[in-house]
Amino acid sequence: MQNNDVTYENIRNDIKNLKRKKSSQMSLVWSRFKKNRLALVGFIIVSIVIFIAVFAPLLTPFDPLATDPINRLQGPSKEHWLGTDELGRDVLSRLFYGSRIALQIGVLIILFEGAIGILLGVVSGFFGGFVDSLIMRIVDILRSFPVIILAMAVAGILGQGVVNVVIALGLVGWTTYARMVRSKILSIKEMDYVEAAYSIGESRFSVVMRYILPNAVSTAIIMICIMMPTALIASATLSFLGVGVQPPSPAWGSMISAGRDYLLKAPWISTSAGLAIMFTVLGFNFIGDGLRDALDPTTKKN
Amino acid sequence: MTKKQKYWIRRVVRTIITAFGVTLIAFLILHLSKGDPVKIMLGPYATEENVAALRAKYNLDEPLHVQYLTWIGNVLKGDLGNSIRYNRSVNELIGERIGPTLILTGSGLVIAVVFGVMLGISAALRRNSLLDYFSTFQAMFWISIPAFWLGILLLYIFGLQLRWVPIAGMTGFTSIILPALTLGLRQEAWFARPMRAEMLEVLNQDYVKTAKAKGLKYRIVIWKHALRNALIPIVTMLALRLPWIIGGSVVVEVVFSWGGIGSLLVNSVLARDFPVVQAILLIIAITVVLANLFADLIYSVIDPRIRTAG
Repeated sequence: MQNNDVTYENIRNDIKNLKRKKSSQMSLVWSRFKKNRLALVGFIIVSIVIFIAVFAPLLTPFDPLATDPINRLQGPSKEHWLGTDELGRDVLSRLFYGSRIALQIGVLIILFEGAIGILLGVVSGFFGGFVDSLIMRIVDILRSFPVIILAMAVAGILGQGVVNVVIALGLVGWTTYARMVRSKILSIKEMDYVEAAYSIGESRFSVVMRYILPNAVSTAIIMICIMMPTALIASATLSFLGVGVQPPSPAWGSMISAGRDYLLKAPWISTSAGLAIMFTVLGFNFIGDGLRDALDPTTKKN
Repeated sequence: MTKKQKYWIRRVVRTIITAFGVTLIAFLILHLSKGDPVKIMLGPYATEENVAALRAKYNLDEPLHVQYLTWIGNVLKGDLGNSIRYNRSVNELIGERIGPTLILTGSGLVIAVVFGVMLGISAALRRNSLLDYFSTFQAMFWISIPAFWLGILLLYIFGLQLRWVPIAGMTGFTSIILPALTLGLRQEAWFARPMRAEMLEVLNQDYVKTAKAKGLKYRIVIWKHALRNALIPIVTMLALRLPWIIGGSVVVEVVFSWGGIGSLLVNSVLARDFPVVQAILLIIAITVVLANLFADLIYSVIDPRIRTAG
């Protein structure tokens, strides 16, 4: 009996140590991330965009929706730094307010598809068998449709608006999370510490909550950073195609679309919105790359 | 039965299940709309008789499974239904427009693979050189720029300012250049990065080292031993990127007024011409499903090491 107790205590200690080792891995990852200059640049870009989105009303001198037909299609000037658009609205103000729409939709898409994808990925990876096959076949089926095409059809049928864009893009988007999280869970399941937890009599539920989920968190965080650019580009594309967030709200995608008819006379409308999307996406891509390299240093070595 | 045969039977069964699911989604998408799809299609001014006639025509009064079976039966016979907007058969519409789309996606694909493979190889051979950094940076640039804006930018520079190419439509060879570049360059990054990584990996393999050690010419080692093996994963990448290339072609077709399937799809979605939307979704998804199966097949032929488990 006493012998058993000693072993039990040892295993408990091992598990504690393993958990401690994991947290030191996390700090290792963070220190690698900090050293990556591009990731830092990305971090700065994204911070600026978030700052602009939060303080847009204080930063902009004009109402993004206020038209001024006399001053339409004016080039950049002291008053209108980025000129005015086809209705005389201040392009800079629209650009700043547009960052709100972009980030809002981006975050909503990530939350929506992330929640579904991570949940189904965990269920699929942990239970295996029929549930796993079923979920993975649904993933196969949805991934047979190009994201933008299915999203356009769905958004077109559901109608315009932020919520419908989120639903349309999330419908396919969750499959990426589900696949990644599932494979991560499958590899964690094989770990010694999970077997150890079972052997000391922990229940399946407690194993999932205490050992499997915490170890899959890093995968989920990277997924979110990697998926943000896709969400931003896809939602802007839907706006451009005419099924996403529509005028007069200053979505970057619809600004590019509207400015397209005035490319010769007023190239600044499309160009400023296009650059805004590009830099925001670039920022998130730098962060995502930095995180990926930090978590998997082998890819950087060669 | 050998392991390999078992694997292929499972793979084909999976493909059939996926294809079935794809038809279900293409069919059900019409029923996502909250109201009566017929009223939405006909608009607010439709008369009661028109609505009733159209309902009868599309079997909308039947139970859902009967509707599905009728639809899928017709599809299997090769009849994709009728467009409401054009009042013509969908087969005809798609037949007219499939050519331009195939030309566009084909040339986009060639640009993506050729540029991607070349850049990936040169970056791997001159690791940490200026070219390597350029390759990494341009890849990052392409994946960060939305296709529609890249298209408009190219159109502005080369069409409106420099006037080198026509600004819209399909008028001769020069009109394909910008659409194909817009489509291809954005996808090139997805081939350049894996190609570089794979090439570096292969160059480190024992058989390449052996080839070098026994005094073979550098060129032969690279082209005969390294490149052949490094190219294998590109086949998988092609199948993986195919949905994105098709999705990108839709956007590019709209930007450049390219009269293909993509612009037909966008117009049909906006006009709520649901039979056309359903048919195009179905064709695209089935193409992707078959391409995946085909890629697996090619992969197992060119790489005998393929694992047949799972």
